[in-house]
Amino acid sequence: MEWYIWIVSLSLGICVLYFLILLCKMLGHGKPKDFAQFKGKVSQGVWYANTKAMSPHNKESAYLHLPTYISGMIYHLGTFVSLLYLIVFLLFKYTETILFFSQPLLIAIGWGLCLSSLCGFGLLIKRALNPNLKKISNLDDYISNLLTSLFQFFLALNFLLILNDIYFTLAASALLLYMPVGKLKHVLYYFFARFHLGYFYGSRGVWPQCKHSSKQ
Amino acid sequence: MHPSHRQFADTALNYMKQNNSPQKNAALELLTCSQESKLITHLNACVHCGLCATSCMYFTALNEEKYIPANKVDLVASIYRRYCTTTGKIFPLLTKARELDEEMILEMIDSLFGGCTLCGRCVKHCSIGVDIPFVIRTGRRMISAMERVPASLEATINSALETGNNMGIPTEEFVDTLQWMEEELQEELEDNNACIPLDQKDKDILYTLNPREPKFFPLSISAMAKIFYAANERWTLSTKMYDITNYAYFSGNNEQAALIATRLADEMRALSCKKLILGECGHGSRAIRWEAPNYLKKSFDFEMETVIEYLGRLIRTNRIQIDRSINTKIYTIHDPCNISRHGGLMEELRFVVKTCVNQVVEMNPHGNDAYCCGGGGGALAMSEYNERRLKIGKLKAEQIRKTGAQVVITPCHNCVDQLTQLNHTYKLGIQIKTLAELIADALVIK
Repeated sequence: MEWYIWIVSLSLGICVLYFLILLCKMLGHGKPKDFAQFKGKVSQGVWYANTKAMSPHNKESAYLHLPTYISGMIYHLGTFVSLLYLIVFLLFKYTETILFFSQPLLIAIGWGLCLSSLCGFGLLIKRALNPNLKKISNLDDYISNLLTSLFQFFLALNFLLILNDIYFTLAASALLLYMPVGKLKHVLYYFFARFHLGYFYGSRGVWPQCKHSSKQ
Repeated sequence: MHPSHRQFADTALNYMKQNNSPQKNAALELLTCSQESKLITHLNACVHCGLCATSCMYFTALNEEKYIPANKVDLVASIYRRYCTTTGKIFPLLTKARELDEEMILEMIDSLFGGCTLCGRCVKHCSIGVDIPFVIRTGRRMISAMERVPASLEATINSALETGNNMGIPTEEFVDTLQWMEEELQEELEDNNACIPLDQKDKDILYTLNPREPKFFPLSISAMAKIFYAANERWTLSTKMYDITNYAYFSGNNEQAALIATRLADEMRALSCKKLILGECGHGSRAIRWEAPNYLKKSFDFEMETVIEYLGRLIRTNRIQIDRSINTKIYTIHDPCNISRHGGLMEELRFVVKTCVNQVVEMNPHGNDAYCCGGGGGALAMSEYNERRLKIGKLKAEQIRKTGAQVVITPCHNCVDQLTQLNHTYKLGIQIKTLAELIADALVIK
């Protein structure tokens, strides 16, 4: 096995282990403790928070900032595709099976990742140039964005130029090892945030809006 | 607590104790000792995308970076990172983890008290779903633990704690006002049995007021009394504890908030009433209905509902008759944040208003997406930020102007106060009415 495969495997292991521990810790804190008498249903609220409340026409962060929103969506999609590919790639490496993609699919994924990494770099440039964003950013924001974009970019090159695996696996290793350090932890906290939001608004009959009747 | 959590918290606490005053330690303990999933989640979830900026009326009106909701969240989160995360302890510069020093405290006071009404509009629009007002209130709790709450807000709370109402109205003055209103009511209804009952036991309803009503808007009390009369309701007011407000909810002092809530609950039991009706006050309704059980760590052993739900029920069950043709003007609705966005009463409020008037023109945006009036979050009580409060209120003033409405309806006396000031400042030429006043105008009494 090549040395860089060991490195990326180890990085993935560390990253997965960290997030598993974090997940267990967060689950260990238990459900929110709310003594108020609920008006709505928490389950419906959580469902709403992850579906309707996320639709672009319900969020100013989407419909007022369409270029950024679309870039962000493509960028995140690219990240998940890249991570998924990495896992499949490693599985095939360890089982010593040849990973085969048809040429058109390879090119399509390659260009898709090219686009998503460009979106990532675009967001990075925006962060560096926009005075409001600069004010709320820290070094971690730039590093997180850069590492994620580079991972996608090298994977895109790997697809399009049949580059040596070494580049994208090293980029992936750097990203995976950095994930537990800073804001990339939102890959886990995002889901907890949506849960808590759904719990809060669901219990109060805001998401979805509670119907009132003549009964008490 | 899990042993590893305890060890971690102990290390953090020891580190702090060597360097800080007892007040700062108390503030930091709110973060370091927290095992609350919700707090840990929201302190870690913000990705600094900045897309929340335009959802905040402070940022929109004043266009200063410090008002970006993400920046306000980061004040609290950066302290969390400094004292509670390994990265923040070893490489504070990497994540901009900050010490809780004097500069930070001043920044927190200015931004968390003077730069946020806790309206929660940003939450709905946050790309992640960070509960921004929850984090900001945690920051306020820290400031409160350090005894640095803005003096005017502290004075309002002290007044409530010392006199039983936040405006310090003496009981004799309160009783006099109500007797005067009762006489007016009897004259209007031509019925000497029409009354405003005080301290009567075993009634179906104990009604609560915002102290602004007896102080500045006594007609809203007689309007509600007229509705109770029309519905043939068995109700009473308490002279001892009628204040629905709870400004300690805004200051972040949960002990004081619990004490105020306990007094109201005790009075409810002392008068043996069946149901507590929460008067027209947004934050007061929220503080007692949704927050107080959590300060007290127990559910209330009596029923309660907001006046909006109560009025909606009176209409649905035909206990009162309304002639909407009497209210002929053009109306618009201002949603109090704690009633609609945080209370789930957006549609019920509209049901009641639309039953009483012919023409409603909605503001854009409205409902769960409405802008705060600018007076929420304790802003009205904090004279330190009066100028800022009126500046951000311009957004609401322009919304109202665009509707062409002659009357703004809002079921919150805090909002009434701010809207009255906006009306004067921005020369809107409108009337501002509460829900009770609107219904009382159109009430058919046989």
